[in-house]
Amino acid sequence: MLPASGSDPVIRLVDVTKTYDSGDTAVHALRGVNLEIGAGESIAIIGPSGSGKSTLMHILGCLDVPTSGDYDLAGTPVASLSSRALAKVRNEKIGFVFQAYNLLPKASLLRNVELPMLYGGVGRVERKERAREALRKVGLLERAAHLPSQLSGGQRQRVAIARALVNNPAIVLADEPTGNLDTQTGKDILALFDELGKQGHTIILVTHDPVVAERASRIVRIVDGQIASDGASVRAAAEAVVPAGVVAVDAGPVAFAH
Amino acid sequence: MTLRESIVDALVEVRVNRARTVLQTLGVILGVASLVAVQGMSDAGRRQGLKFFSEFGGLKKILVHNKPLKERVQTAAMLDSHGLDWGDVEALRREIPMATQVDPIAEDEQTIRTPTYQKLREITGATPDYQAVYKFFPARGRFLIDDDLAQMSRVVVLGDSAARLYFGNEDPLGKTLYIGDAGFRVVGVLRRKEFYFNEGDRNALEWMNRLTIIPITALYSRFTGDPDKKVSFINVMVDKVENNKKAVAAINKVLARRHKGVPDFEVIDRKERMKQQQQEGQIFDLIFLATGILSLLVGGIVIMNIMMASLRERIREVGVRKAIGARGLDVALQFLVESVLVTAIGGLVGLPIGILFANGITALIGQPAVITPQMAMVSVIASVVVGLFFGLYPAIKAARLNPVEALRYE
Repeated sequence: MLPASGSDPVIRLVDVTKTYDSGDTAVHALRGVNLEIGAGESIAIIGPSGSGKSTLMHILGCLDVPTSGDYDLAGTPVASLSSRALAKVRNEKIGFVFQAYNLLPKASLLRNVELPMLYGGVGRVERKERAREALRKVGLLERAAHLPSQLSGGQRQRVAIARALVNNPAIVLADEPTGNLDTQTGKDILALFDELGKQGHTIILVTHDPVVAERASRIVRIVDGQIASDGASVRAAAEAVVPAGVVAVDAGPVAFAH
Repeated sequence: MTLRESIVDALVEVRVNRARTVLQTLGVILGVASLVAVQGMSDAGRRQGLKFFSEFGGLKKILVHNKPLKERVQTAAMLDSHGLDWGDVEALRREIPMATQVDPIAEDEQTIRTPTYQKLREITGATPDYQAVYKFFPARGRFLIDDDLAQMSRVVVLGDSAARLYFGNEDPLGKTLYIGDAGFRVVGVLRRKEFYFNEGDRNALEWMNRLTIIPITALYSRFTGDPDKKVSFINVMVDKVENNKKAVAAINKVLARRHKGVPDFEVIDRKERMKQQQQEGQIFDLIFLATGILSLLVGGIVIMNIMMASLRERIREVGVRKAIGARGLDVALQFLVESVLVTAIGGLVGLPIGILFANGITALIGQPAVITPQMAMVSVIASVVVGLFFGLYPAIKAARLNPVEALRYE
């Protein structure tokens, strides 16, 4: 089910711009972004606040559409889709992980994980089974009937990750996934992302934290609505030098530009 | 998301916010209860009316009675007219195929005398058909028979109150009653007729208990001496209610011909009268109805308000659902299901309260209790309509939320 690693890009942005009208002046949040992300890559998007980082994430996540330019997600041109079609793309191809977990507070963990499948029309039996399996993978199966409020932050984020993965999305989009967690718990969550990367998931981390960004193999820096730099992370570069690394090849040719 | 799963979510929402749900349902409960009560009471009224009419002929009865002419200047034909007579009765018997009975009644005033009583009273000349039309059967003795009619027999049948009036506590059977100068033998005392629209009301059928009934032929020969044998009114019983209109038209035609176009009679369809009465009753129903609808409106507005407030708390949730793949329609459906669930609960609670309400009131005015399937229907329809109508705006609002802004909402 997962896209094959390294071949066609799972994401291709061409000359993407996003302009917001705020009163008389137009705000250019993105000014011509070109970006390709290969299947199975783990990539961090970093940048100061106001850089256009969030806008880029919203467009990547199909929550918003570009003002101009093209966006192909896993072979589907999504730049001009209707909101209805975008909902379907979000449901099938994207898994979101948020800083604030964003679990439904009144629903059990199981139901929270079932949610993407509920909107995807997965039958009851298969749905329950897959939700349990996803919870088992993040080590929270025995708490399936609990409410999110009964869990710690790290546990909640694990549930959110289970929810993000349950529909087998083409990409996992994580927005500051460790922002609300203490250092140790944050490390645990990042380790979980590492694990997912090794399993072949395409992971996009949006963060302002350089330490978090270093966990990815590739770092894209956004400044003033444009890509300022795009290259292998220090860790990936080091692993590339020492050929024992597992993910170095995935980092692409730019890894050697440094 | 399927309707079923939306209901699951809505149930959670309702269970978690119990206090809020109670507030939301109050208006609907009151509204549904009063609508159910209206339904019940108007139904009780309708049944009561039907029952009353069935005591003297039911809906299949058409009344033909004399109508005084109002014209100051009358034509020769008008001056010649003397109203309904025996010839009319025979013509109707001949010419109205859907008539099962044509029952003439003639009335006259005579002095009635017994050893203990003497007073001018109205006496009724009737035929043996009378007892079937009015369901007026003897308690003791017998009613008039064909022989009485043929022989112009001097026999009399008394209503229960009349018997008491004339003879006190003595048994009137076989005794002689003087009407004018002629002695009539009492051959029957009729079963008491009673009907109370409301408890404490007067007996609406007491006039029947006060009747003094003799053969119509005896009335003509002994008292009126009238060669035309005029009748006061004619009851025409029709074979089935559907034929009432046709019968009325046919009767009018026959009588118009016989009366040479002089409108000195009137034909009244019982069914039409019943309809009119119901329409008059409906004015009261409308007042109750308006009360119910008003409560539902207020209840609905409360629901909408609370839904809007809860939407504000749940903007982020909507954002999350949309990020995960909910379409606008899914979100709208979820909110609609929630509001309909709330109003359905209101309807469910309102139904028994409405039934209690209706039966309380009917008991208070002494009418029989009613529970009809229509009551349940009213409660279901009213609550679902209110839920859909007032849930629509919050649902559309929620569905239209921009996912980016909704996710950012604190």
